[in-house]
Formats: sequence, C-alpha cells, structure tokens
Amino acid sequence: MDDLLAEFIAETREMLEATGGELVAWEAEPADRARLDAIFRFVHTVKGNCGFFDFPRLASLSHAAEDALADCRAGRREADEALVTGVLAIIDRIAEMVDAIEAGETFPEGGDEALIAGLDVSRGTLGEATSDPAIGLQNVQLPANEEATTFARRADAQRTIRLPVELLDRVMSGVSDMVLARNDLAHRLRQAGNQPTIDGPFERLTTILSDVRDAITRMRMQRIETLFGALPRLVRDLSAELGKQVMVDLDGGDVELDREMIETIRDPLTHIIRNAIDHGIEKPSARLAQGKREIGLLAIAARQSGNTISIVLADDGRGLDEERIAAKAVATGLVTAAERASMSRDKILNLIFEPGFSTAETVSNVSGRGVGLDVVRQNLEKVGGTIKVGSIPGEGTTFTLQIPLTLSIIAGLTVEVAGHRFAIPQSYVEEIVQGSARALDLTRLGETALVTFRGTRVPCLMLGEVLGLDGSEAAASEPTLVMLRLASGDLFALAVEGIHNHGDLVVKPLAPAVMKSGLYAGSTLLDDGTPVLLLDVANIAAQHALVSDTRTRVLGPQADAAEAAADSASRAMLFTDFTGRRCAVRLELVQRIETAPVAAIDRSAARPRVVIDGLILPLIGLPEGPLAQTRVRLLRLSDGACELLYAVREVEDAVELTDALAPVPEDPLAEAMTLIGGSPATLIDAHELFARHGEAPQLAERPRCTLPDGEWARAILAPLVTAAGYDIVTPAEAGPSAIGILFEDVFEVAETLGRPLPARVIRLRDQPEAPAGSETIYRYDREGLLAALAAAARAPAMGEAA
Amino acid sequence: MTEKLLVILQIAGRRCALSALDVRSVIETTAITPVPRAPAWIAGITALRSQALTVIDCRRAIGVAGDWPTDHRAAVVSEGGHSYALLVDGIEDITTAAGEAGQVPGGFGAEWSRVAVGMIETMAGPALLIDLPALLAGPEAARHEIEAAA
Repeated sequence: MDDLLAEFIAETREMLEATGGELVAWEAEPADRARLDAIFRFVHTVKGNCGFFDFPRLASLSHAAEDALADCRAGRREADEALVTGVLAIIDRIAEMVDAIEAGETFPEGGDEALIAGLDVSRGTLGEATSDPAIGLQNVQLPANEEATTFARRADAQRTIRLPVELLDRVMSGVSDMVLARNDLAHRLRQAGNQPTIDGPFERLTTILSDVRDAITRMRMQRIETLFGALPRLVRDLSAELGKQVMVDLDGGDVELDREMIETIRDPLTHIIRNAIDHGIEKPSARLAQGKREIGLLAIAARQSGNTISIVLADDGRGLDEERIAAKAVATGLVTAAERASMSRDKILNLIFEPGFSTAETVSNVSGRGVGLDVVRQNLEKVGGTIKVGSIPGEGTTFTLQIPLTLSIIAGLTVEVAGHRFAIPQSYVEEIVQGSARALDLTRLGETALVTFRGTRVPCLMLGEVLGLDGSEAAASEPTLVMLRLASGDLFALAVEGIHNHGDLVVKPLAPAVMKSGLYAGSTLLDDGTPVLLLDVANIAAQHALVSDTRTRVLGPQADAAEAAADSASRAMLFTDFTGRRCAVRLELVQRIETAPVAAIDRSAARPRVVIDGLILPLIGLPEGPLAQTRVRLLRLSDGACELLYAVREVEDAVELTDALAPVPEDPLAEAMTLIGGSPATLIDAHELFARHGEAPQLAERPRCTLPDGEWARAILAPLVTAAGYDIVTPAEAGPSAIGILFEDVFEVAETLGRPLPARVIRLRDQPEAPAGSETIYRYDREGLLAALAAAARAPAMGEAA
Repeated sequence: MTEKLLVILQIAGRRCALSALDVRSVIETTAITPVPRAPAWIAGITALRSQALTVIDCRRAIGVAGDWPTDHRAAVVSEGGHSYALLVDGIEDITTAAGEAGQVPGGFGAEWSRVAVGMIETMAGPALLIDLPALLAGPEAARHEIEAAA
C-alpha cells in the first residue's frame, strides 16, 4: 500500500511538472486542443487515482477542474484567463496536498470550496449543472481513436523506469570503486613490467570500464528539461504579477546534467529570471514607445561543450545601465572614481555580482528579497561554475552560466609539500611555474609573499604554511608555483614542493569534522591506493583574503592581456606518434599536414629526409624499423625560417589547450604534459625541436630554371621541372644562380659561338643511348632528370661560386 | 528478544562496548594520511579498499589525556553516511549483553558521560556502552554544550 502511495505521489509530481508548461501554452492559445487534452488528462488521472485512496478533498478539487475543462473540450465554454487562473489555483492546491500527503501531515482545512467556486463563477452564463457527475463522466469517454493516440504517446514517453536514486548512487560509487581498483591494478602491472598475456585483457578491461563509467554517469544525468519545465509557469506568474508581458523561449532541454547539479542551479536560475522580468523587461507601453514588440522575450538556452554546460539567459529588455552600476559601485565604495574611469564596460557590468550590490530603486516583492546576485555567484562557484553578464543598452542583457557536468569525477593535479600529497582541481590551475626564488622574484612582505608572474605581482601562499607543515629549505629556494585562477578572476600562486601527476580523481566526501577545517573539499585515492585530500582552493583563498575586489581590478588589465595571449597560443594539433605516444604540437607551428609515399623518404643519410615541393626537409619521428604502410602522414612544422617534418602514425584533431601544462623536466623534447579530452598528451617543445633538428633553409626561394624553346619543353618538360620545385623563368629573368636546361645541340652551338650560357646547365639529348663522355641526360629519363635537378637545387652556392 | 552482540574495546584503559551492528569490520590500519589543521582527535584518513575512512583517535575524541598503547587494528563504523576507523587501545572480543544499559550513581565523569549511553553488563564484565554519534562529534561538542549552558 505504501508503495502504491509513493507511486501515486511520484506520478502526480511528474505530471505536475509536465503540465505547468502546458497550462501557460494553452492560455496563450486557448484553441489548442492538444494542450487542453493534456491538462484534462492530468486532472482526470488525479481524480481517478484518488479513487484508490481516501482523499476526498483531492478528488473534489480535481473533479471540479475536470468538469470545467470538460466543458471547454465540449465547446460549451471558452477558455479565458479567469478559467486558466482558476485551474492553475486548483493545480497548485493539488501540489500542496500531495506534498502534505508525502510528509504524512494533514493539510489545513478549508479553502477548497472557494477554489471550486472560482471556477464556477467564471463559468458565466452557461447555467448547466456541471456538478452532475454524469456529464463529467461522459466527457471522460474519449473517442476510440483519440484514446489510441493518447496511449501511443504515453507509451512513447514511458520507455523509462523509475529507480530509487540511492540505487543509482550505489551503482555509481561501485563503478568509481572499480575505476580505483583498475588504477591500482595498472600501477602494479607497471611495476611488474611488460606482460603481454595480461596487458591485452587489461586494456580491454580498461576500455569496458570507461564505457560503463560513461553510461553510469549518464544514468545520473537528468535532462535539463526537468528544470525548464517549471519555467514557463514561473515566467507567467511573475509577469502577471508585475504587469508585464513576457514570452519564454526554451532551447536545449535535452542537454543532460548531473541531477545534483540541476538542484544546485535551480535557485540561481530562478533568481536570474526574476531579475530579468523585474528589472530587465520593460512594461508593454514603454516597450511600444521604443519601437519594440510589446511582449518581451526571455530566451533560455542550454548547451553542452565538453565537460561543461553553458546556460544562457537572454532578455530583450532595457539592458544594464553602466552609469548607474558604476555610480552605485563608487557610492558603496566597491571601486574608486579613478578606478571606475579605467574600467571597461564589461568589468563594470560584472560588478553586479559583488557582495552587497543591488541597483533596484524600489525593492519589489519579486526580486528584492535581500538575496543578491552575489549569492547566485557564490552558489555557482561552490560547484565549480562561473557566471558572467553582458548587455547592450536598450537591447537586452545576457547572463552566461558555466557549470561542470558532474561533481564526483574531476580532473585534478597532485602536488607535494613536506612529504604530504594533496590534490587540486584542474579547473583552477592556470599554469605551473618552476624556477628559483630569485627568478620568480619571490618577495616576503611581512607575513605575505609575492611573486612576479608575467610582469604582475601576484600574492603567493606557501601551501606548507597554509597547512601548518614544515617544508624543507631547499624547496623554499626552488619552489614550484601552481598559478590558480579563481572563478572571480583572482589569481594567486600556491608554492608547493613538487607536482606529481594529472588524472581523473574520484572525489569522495569527507567527514564533517574534517570539512570544518575549511581547507579540504573531499578526498580521493591515488593509483597506489593512498588516500589524499582535495584542497578547497576557493575557500583557502577566501581564508587568506585573496578574493578582495581591489586585487581583482588591479589585476584586471593584465589578466585580460594574459588571456588574449593565452587565447592565441592555446590551440594545438593532437596526434599519435610512431611510438604510440599521444602528443600535441602548438598549432601555429603546423604549416600543413602532408602525406608522402614511403618511397619519398630518403633514409640513407644519418637523418632521414623527404623531398616535398622540391624542398628537402629533415624528417623526425620515424620508427626504427621499416614502415608497414606505403604512405606516411607528416606534420610540416615551421618556425618561420626552418621547416621540418614530423612523421606521425595518426593525426587526431586540432584541439584547445585548456588544461594546465605540467613541465616534464626529464624529457627535453617535451614542453609539458597536459590533458586533452581527459587523457594526457605530451606537448612537443618547439624550441628544443628546432634547435636539434631544424636546419637553415636550404632554399630561401625556389630555384629558377630556363627551358629550351619549343612545344615539347612547354608541355612536357615544364610540369616535371615545376614539380621538382623549380620556378620556370625566361632567360631575361634568370639570375646567375638559375639553371638552364638545354638540348645538347643548342648547347654545343652556343658554346662554339661563345654565347653567354647559364652558369649551370642540364643538357638533354634525343637518343636513349648516351654517347661516350657526354654529360647529357636522355630527355625521357625522368629519374636522371629529377636527380640532376635535385642535385642542382641542393648546391646553389656551388653554382654561384662557379 | 535476541541477544545483543557487543564488540568490547579498551579505550584509555577502560573497557568499552560498541553495538556489533555498528561495527562493519575490523581492519589492520596501514598507512594513515594525516590531515593538517584538523582537530587532534582526527588521526587522518586511510583507505579501505577504494573507500576513504576518517581515522578517529577515540582517546582524544573522548577528551581523556594520557599515553595509551594503540592497537594495530581499528574498528570501522558508519555514521551519517561517512565511514570512520576507530583507533583504540585494543579490540578484545565480541560478546553478548547481559542486560540493558543503565546508569550508575555518580555518573562516569564529564568526558565519559558525554560519549556513554550507560553501563552495560556483558559476559566479559561491565562495560561502558559508547554512543557513536557523540563520540564522533569530538571533544569540541562538549565544550559547546558547556558554553551553551553557561
């Protein structure tokens, strides 16, 4: 029986959520039969279900609403606003009663009659006796075909099962445990060395496990629809209350989000919507006066990009008033007038998220509830999210929320201090800097420390001191700095003694007594099964008063410049090299991707070379043994002057380097390790690469060549010479280094007559067989010709000297 | 009535009892990762399979000073969705209760009274039945209570 009751409550809830949006849509379009049917079905189902249980009040409420709606369906009554309001009130009451039933409380008596009467009064002149249950029942009988479509639709929507959330959580934590067990096993296998018989199955296990983990993660996901479903109703109620007309446009309801996350963003989202309707969108008359549509538009869209979801709320209202925000900020002492003058519009607008900021002139009962946007930002930051605002005066305001997909598995970095290890969420890590205290300009000022990072003084926290641990002296002179960027934009350095590794961390909650210290956000297990604590970066910064407004602004311009620099330098080409290593090279270096036949690779010299476009380029990255494939993919890298080719097994994609770069001092050719798409990749150190393998360009420009006259030379010889990398020029343009291709007879004549000849010539003959002592090449001897051209191209200096 | 099973522990030289239903297992404590800046009665965290346990030093959690031997084994308990490993002087036995927990005239002393449900007779002799949530609240809880009362 209890199960049945729980089922009833759950089903009613689900339908309530779904119906909220339908009701508003129906009000806008009373003739919309589908909506009417949906709502009718809801009250009808509630009424029917009440029959199983003893809920006379629920039954009478749903019965009254059903009657009224049945009249509409039968055409006896117009669906007007009064009716919608009445039905909404009844549905609200049903929701309240269901809540009370679930909580096991008795719902306060009275009030039902007024609601039911509200429907009847608005029935107007149609004096039919709707309280007669017979009519209600008659209308319940759906036409057979209609019933069939209804069932079809329901069957479609019902291809889901309801599971207790605890069960999902248990499965999720089981899979997390499996990931940890796998990591442990991987660690032991590495220690044991290569074991082909085990490695294969282990790889498979890894793949399966990651698939399962993905699937389980998705199981915990909920469509953001569940959140969006309630919004049309919210918007309707608010706009009615404020005398405004607002249309809501929802997009991306199928984006999925961890259900905990959905709960976390529910309040912030509601708050922003309240704000938008209250402060953003103008009254209809004001809108008309400005030439806008009198109905305001509130567009809410959710998008998934990688591991984050962005939710954009845009209204087409009056926009944010930069001057008023600035004036308010100056008045409340958030900024000084001088600072205000140097701030960009964007920076000023984003002041609205500062604590204690509210521009509303009159506190309405809608948005002026003493809870400001600062709380919204705080709540989002708690889960690792951010919020930004942009606005065009008179055209509207856009709020952009970025939130991580899930809470329980995050990318993290392990650091060491005084023999202890701690994890830091990757999302905060901006950069890792290593160097001597002198080079970093580490300065102690009283109790605090500052470092110079990209020309800016940045506060520096010693992790050892933060945690009350004694670090070694050596570490203090050679610190490793983890530059951490808080969601508010504040940057600070955390000095640690070493960086261990990156990886996905399965974060487990900590006991409340440990959480109380305010330093830790959770715990996680390393590959070897050692538990480590995850640092609560935001809270540590707050405890040390590093989240001050002044610093944010002082850092502002530099931070922007750094971001701009980071933007331009943050893309890389991802590839797998011939040792199977996943590597990346900065995209600016990559000129293009070449595909060359293996035959074009000359491996006779100490360094393999390839001729591409007539240029002989050094080639690196080849495996030791012979190549299995016939063609090989080459990344053509250039530092502006030198070019070299990097042979790769597979080119993956151009990617953004969003994760932090961890230096790899033991591998000189690696600039850093980073995470791309969740897996580690080695970023190639271009400086070292070109220092080792780059060669001064052998050919600053393409070599020139003059051709003999005649149709044969133009049609047949010219393409061959061009393909070999030569520019074909007329004798007049030919410089001293140009190569002349001449027919043997022409050459002999010219030589005999003492005519000027190009410094270097390639002589062609017509007969396949070479006459004795002749330095000529048969005109159809392709290999000979190309070899001669290549040889001439390789030694231009000799030609000039000659 | 089924007989109530108890796990008998030595905490700070006293015989104490935990309901066997509360004790999920007894583990060998291996590496304990200390938690800097946490209260002294939190010895650190340790891993049980893939789970992280908060290690509680029961002597300090009760607030009794002294230098006691520590068993290499710890009792694993769950409370409020979190798992803890309890460090004690020794884990002695599992036995059955020979009655209900009761008070003794004069009480057990301020620290012990805070964490004790009462005295319970067992097959191994009388023991102090420990109130797990009170124990895990730590000695600060007592101070707060005193402050609140004052």
